[in-house]
Amino acid sequence: MILKKFAIKFVKFYKYFISPALGSNCRYYPTCSCYALWEFENENFFKAFIKSVLRILKCNQLFRGGIDYPVISKKINPCYGKKIEIKYWLIPKNDKFIVIKAENERTR
Amino acid sequence: MNGQDNLRRIIIATVISFIFFFAYDYFVLQPQMEAASKTEKISNKAPVKVKRESENTSVSKNEKSFEAKTVAVIEAKNYEIKIDSLGRISSYILKQNKFNTDGKHLELISPKLPKPLEVRFKNENLNKKAFSIPVEVSAKKIVLNGEKKELVITQNLKELVLKKIITFYPSGRYDVKVELSKPADYFISQGYRPAAAIDQLTIHGVVIKKSDDTLEIIEDGDAEPETINNAIVVAGFDRYYTTLLFSKKPVKAVVVPDDEKNPVTFIESTDNISLIGYIGPKYVDTLRSIDPGLVDVVQYGVGTFFARNLFLVLDYLYKISGNWGVAIILLVVLVRLVLFPLTFKGMVSMYKLKELAPKMKEIQERYKKDPQKLQMHMMKLYKEHGANPLGGCLPLLLQIPIFYGIYKLLLYSIELKGAHFLWIKDLSEMDPYFILPVLMGVSMYIHQKLTPTNFQDPMQEKIFKFLPVIFTVMMATFPAGLVLYWTVNNILSILQQWIINKFMESKKALTKVKK
Repeated sequence: MILKKFAIKFVKFYKYFISPALGSNCRYYPTCSCYALWEFENENFFKAFIKSVLRILKCNQLFRGGIDYPVISKKINPCYGKKIEIKYWLIPKNDKFIVIKAENERTR
Repeated sequence: MNGQDNLRRIIIATVISFIFFFAYDYFVLQPQMEAASKTEKISNKAPVKVKRESENTSVSKNEKSFEAKTVAVIEAKNYEIKIDSLGRISSYILKQNKFNTDGKHLELISPKLPKPLEVRFKNENLNKKAFSIPVEVSAKKIVLNGEKKELVITQNLKELVLKKIITFYPSGRYDVKVELSKPADYFISQGYRPAAAIDQLTIHGVVIKKSDDTLEIIEDGDAEPETINNAIVVAGFDRYYTTLLFSKKPVKAVVVPDDEKNPVTFIESTDNISLIGYIGPKYVDTLRSIDPGLVDVVQYGVGTFFARNLFLVLDYLYKISGNWGVAIILLVVLVRLVLFPLTFKGMVSMYKLKELAPKMKEIQERYKKDPQKLQMHMMKLYKEHGANPLGGCLPLLLQIPIFYGIYKLLLYSIELKGAHFLWIKDLSEMDPYFILPVLMGVSMYIHQKLTPTNFQDPMQEKIFKFLPVIFTVMMATFPAGLVLYWTVNNILSILQQWIINKFMESKKALTKVKK
């Protein structure tokens, strides 16, 4: 969990302070840093790490780029009667889920 | 077919990036491994040795009452060495004006003990004599005119005679043969590390190279008593200078922490021994000419492996161009050239993109108010038509280690100290007129203006807009060479982006392609 928190902090720091200096160049949607962030927030650390690294490696002109959402596997526990804030939509695909960031007021 | 092609591309991209990433991992892990091996090495014998050594230290403190006078002077074009009446190098002055501090020639010998070539005996009685009986020298003054010359230092301790036969070279190298009339346990030192360039930013201490080519770096403040049986190089170093002893056969090196836990090192022997020494700036070429293995004495802190290889490239570019500033610019161009196959592929896909121009306009109109959706639909369009104008994250991230490597080179390389370029007197210092940082800020601003951006977060957008200012202020205090690299890189990015944008805008070109 500490690793995960650290990774999220790191990606956020990169998004705010380093990425703007380099200019927006990602060939994908969501961008590599978003992808990593969504992965780290929804997947276990090691899987998220490996997938993020692979994604960055693929983010060059030898690859087409385009739309590439994180796909995670997760056990869903139902939650009844509670008011929840939706952060991500998980769209079922086979036995896995595509992660899409929910558009709530905070992110707008 | 498609799958195979995909695989090949993954492999190419992976190999390129792994070269960089691996170098990094290796050097983040290395210090940890060293720390582990350090603890292993503290043998049972070590504490005994330490006692011996600390006694010796106290003995050598007594010696202060005995006035050690200069008994011989060796003069060469680049240096002046003084030998004191205890047969040690008590002063080593670099005569080139390049190294001057406060208008004076630079003294490399630290006031702290031991001095280079200081011999301490294990036997207390003998040691007292060694620190009270003055030596005899074969010549009072030696002048080197481009050739090597020999000096014999003899110290008659009654029970035995200690002889040091030293051959001085104009480069700062010296060969020393220690001869005893009968065997006795003794220690000889390469001297306390130079104290001419000590600061908080850079590492200083001792590096010991072993016969199996592994290195042990003991930074000041971290020293532990230990004995290394297979040392071949023992070198004290500060940011720019070193004093070292090198042996072709493995020797026993003893590390003793002083009061501040800084490492003090000796080579222990009981019999005659032949060593090669060097005192002076850590010029890679000079060190390599003495022995290729001595290049490892130049340490760059974390990322040494990477910085060293980058130095070889930069040094090559310097030898072609004759100026370090030009060499840095050439390096930027070289990096861009290495990434060119990628850029070129991107450029080619621009032609395809032209055909999409009307569709893109439509999307831009439709999602004007929602940048996230706009970005998504653009990507969809790119993917459908197999065209993508963006460079990708990988080529950009590859720039970061190079940037870091140059930072390290500017910190540690004596070659880059005092390297002038146009109005800048020293690329390793900040630009005194702040011209480069401002140029960098401006180039960054222009680059930002030219690159299409879309943010999901208003906060991010604000930071983005202020970033050129933040970077200008931040980079103002950094070495000018680093700012130069970034500025040139920005300018090349602008050029590239400008070409891309021109392609996108010109509708004439579009019709030509259609024809």
